[in-house]
Amino acid sequence: MGEKKSDVLQGTLDLMVLKTLHVLGPLHGFGIARRIEQLSEDVLQLNEGTVYTSLLRLQQQGFITSAWGASENNRKARFYSVTRRGLKQLLQETEDWERFAGVVERVLNLQREG
Amino acid sequence: MPEIQTKTTRTILARIAGLFCFQRADRDLQDEMEEHLRLLTDRNIARGMSSQDAAASARRDFGSTTLLQQRHRESRAFLFLSDLWRDALFGVRMLLKRPGSTAAIVVALALGIGMNVCVFTFVNALLLRPPTAVRSPGQLREVWQTSGHASGLGHYMPFTYPDYVYFRDHAHSFSGLVAFGDTEAVLWNRAGQGDVIRGGFVSGNFFSVAGVDLPLGRAFTQNDDQPGNPRPLVILNNSFWRGRLSADPFVIGKTMLLNGIGFTVIGVAPPGFTGFVTGDVADFWTPLSMVERTLHDPGRLNSRFSSWLITEGRLAPGVTSGTALAEARVLSRELATAHPDTNKDYDAALFTLAPLPGPVRGYVTAFTGLLLTVFMLVLAIACANAAGLMMVIATGRAREMAIRSALGAGRGRLIRQLTMESVLLSLLAGCAAIALAAGTSRALLGLIPANLPITVDVPLDIRVLVFTFAVAILTGIVFGALPAMRGTRIDPVHVLKEELQSGGYRRSRLRFAMITSQVAVCALLLFGAVLCVRSLLNANSINPGFEIHNIATAELDPGSLGYSNDKVTAFYRDLALRMRAVPGVASVSFVSHLPLAASRQQSPVLPQGSKLPRDSALLVDVFRVAPGYFSTMGVPMLRGRDFTQGEFDSNAPAVVINDTLAARMWPGQDPIGRRLTLGDDKFLSEVIGVVRTGKYRTLGELPLPALFTPVMTPRRVIVVRTLAQPGLALDAIRRETQAVDPNMAATQLETIAEFMSFPLFPARTTGLLLGAAGILALLLTWIGLFGVISASVSQRTREIGVRMAMGATQADVLRLILRQGLALTASGLAIGMVGALTAARLLTVLLYGIRPDDPVTAIGVVIGLAASTLLACYLPARRAARVSPTAALRYE
Repeated sequence: MGEKKSDVLQGTLDLMVLKTLHVLGPLHGFGIARRIEQLSEDVLQLNEGTVYTSLLRLQQQGFITSAWGASENNRKARFYSVTRRGLKQLLQETEDWERFAGVVERVLNLQREG
Repeated sequence: MPEIQTKTTRTILARIAGLFCFQRADRDLQDEMEEHLRLLTDRNIARGMSSQDAAASARRDFGSTTLLQQRHRESRAFLFLSDLWRDALFGVRMLLKRPGSTAAIVVALALGIGMNVCVFTFVNALLLRPPTAVRSPGQLREVWQTSGHASGLGHYMPFTYPDYVYFRDHAHSFSGLVAFGDTEAVLWNRAGQGDVIRGGFVSGNFFSVAGVDLPLGRAFTQNDDQPGNPRPLVILNNSFWRGRLSADPFVIGKTMLLNGIGFTVIGVAPPGFTGFVTGDVADFWTPLSMVERTLHDPGRLNSRFSSWLITEGRLAPGVTSGTALAEARVLSRELATAHPDTNKDYDAALFTLAPLPGPVRGYVTAFTGLLLTVFMLVLAIACANAAGLMMVIATGRAREMAIRSALGAGRGRLIRQLTMESVLLSLLAGCAAIALAAGTSRALLGLIPANLPITVDVPLDIRVLVFTFAVAILTGIVFGALPAMRGTRIDPVHVLKEELQSGGYRRSRLRFAMITSQVAVCALLLFGAVLCVRSLLNANSINPGFEIHNIATAELDPGSLGYSNDKVTAFYRDLALRMRAVPGVASVSFVSHLPLAASRQQSPVLPQGSKLPRDSALLVDVFRVAPGYFSTMGVPMLRGRDFTQGEFDSNAPAVVINDTLAARMWPGQDPIGRRLTLGDDKFLSEVIGVVRTGKYRTLGELPLPALFTPVMTPRRVIVVRTLAQPGLALDAIRRETQAVDPNMAATQLETIAEFMSFPLFPARTTGLLLGAAGILALLLTWIGLFGVISASVSQRTREIGVRMAMGATQADVLRLILRQGLALTASGLAIGMVGALTAARLLTVLLYGIRPDDPVTAIGVVIGLAASTLLACYLPARRAARVSPTAALRYE
């Protein structure tokens, strides 16, 4: 049961990271964490470190690339950006997600009516 | 779906890359995380926290950096792989710690794996290896016509030349279709000295379709191979050119005198190229159209009866095997309709390219498959032994396992470690097996009779190596996994506190089950082995109907030089005269072909006055002999007399028959003086003698009718009876042949004992290989049983001590242990013998003079195996009986 939950979360986190990078352009891990924190409004409690696990995964699949740059306080930081493969994947997964969410919603509505 | 695939491939590639840049990636992540924490801290300070609180909060929000680093490391590369490497190093240390058991396991497995590799080298050489220097052999297909009338090998018909031409000109599925015949012995007149070499007749497109680049000279063209205008050209085999012509760089354009015809050398084949099929290696190739002139065989090319060509086609681009087959079948049927007298009911079949011609592959596959099965069973016994030994070791390592598991090693991790050790053992065994196989294969090649013009090369190439290590790794997993799973099922607290290995009843039950199956498999193999060895002994003692000592033989064919009949007669007369003058020679005669050799001749025979139609006449094996053949070969004359020189010289209508034919034609009557019609003869021949029936085709055959006529052809086998040392007569034959005619050379010089290796080949091979399998199986089972009983005795030392203290005698203890051993073997024997009697039916065709369910063999195997297992139990049992009760009870 526990494993299942984290599986869903893992995929979802990857999707959120990808979307963030797509919308905001090249960003470092700290920036991504901030953005997700902002949007999730404390609903999603996660260790910021897991963002890096997600980034490694995405990178291994070729959905994002990284390059070294300078952070806000002008120190070495790694900036990630979406590749063309990543963009395709994002569109695909967004569609899947919406379809999935739609199904879940419909099912839940049905229960309420019954 | 493809998306997922590329995703995983990419991940795997990234991980493989990750294996190599471990440290840098570690440092990078460290930098990244530190910067993240710094930025978080800065933000917290900006929100009004103290710098200490800000840092602590940042670390809390981020989570454990160590854990993250670790997790990244795991997913960056296969942690699994680096773990395996560590396991391997540890495994090597553990194996070195106990060299005795390591050596025992490695030797047992090496024997088991080695014999399999040995058989596989032959599978590889005969069935798998693509021909050397041929371009894209995967596109080549062997084309055969099939005849609806015959079954087995006779079902497949080689092509006649007209059929080949029809296929070549009409098949669109092939970009090129080549044809070639079996190699033929050809006399090479080298500066007045005759020498016999082998020539291959090949179609003009042979080299171009093979895609071979000649290092010297040029290939044949279609123009070189016009039946109306045959050109005497040759291309030399590279090894022939190196070995016999000292790699002469100016050989192109030179002339070789072959069968009396001057051939011009136009090329040298690349090294290793021996044509499309292996085994039948040509020293030179010449166009098909030269066959009639070279072999003095006019009409062969136009004949619709001479089926002598193997045909290979290269599939045209985009054409599948199925399409090509469909087209070939259509062409075959067109030919069948056009030539119903020869091609009635013909169809076609395709084979992919392999070292052996398609039709015989099935038989070789069956035989090598049988051998592989047998040796896999031997390997299974070796595996069971190794597993048993590993379990004994595992019992001793219970404490080590307990400590490691208490320190946090998961069970899976421990199993992996133990399996790694067994795989290491089997890989070691695999290396030894290759050395063993190399030696054994060479010894087996020695069994191939010299009178078969077959050259088999059994290289240890990449396929053999892959096979060996695949078998080795699999073996390691098979024999290692079970003991590993047993050995790691431990309760660390229990083991560490008690400092004792728990009773192990379950463990020994598993070992007993293994011993039972070992004995069963051993009984099966031993039964097969004894059958084959007895069959070999039978075959050796079968009376072939002629003497197998003090006879020298050689083949001669003055016809290949195009001599007239008179010249041939004169040659043989002079040779016989000179040979009779050689000291030690008792008699000399000639025969068309030796009985039990590869060739045979059959003719229908009808007794005088028979009203039977010709095609229902008795088919009889015919031998053409000179006077003195029967006495020279030691064939007993039962009635009548041998041919006289006068009858021989005048081709008189006289025949000698064997007693089987006599009984079939004139049962209960005296055959001497009776007449019969032989084959197409327009006249009757008179029976002048009856000889005892011998063996003519195979040693195992039932009595066959045979007939001897004095009408001979130029190709003859000289048979020379000596007083002693027939080997010396061989030199005499070679010398005297050259003395009579310097252009002639004798081939296939061998004593009759050497000749017999041909008919005995199947029996010798199966007897030797299955015998070896049986001995190995017995040896391994014996060791296994000994080990298990010994281990069980030492585990029961305490119990035995108690028993003896309670008044049991030494004899009682001995009986106790022996009963245990006997119980183990009895069930194994019963299962094994049931399997053996069922499986042995597969051997029927390979056995001489013994049924596959031979009761004497079965009882012998049961008694022998039972006795030898009892012996294996007796030694540890005696040790148990000598246990001093006080010592046993004081122990622990």
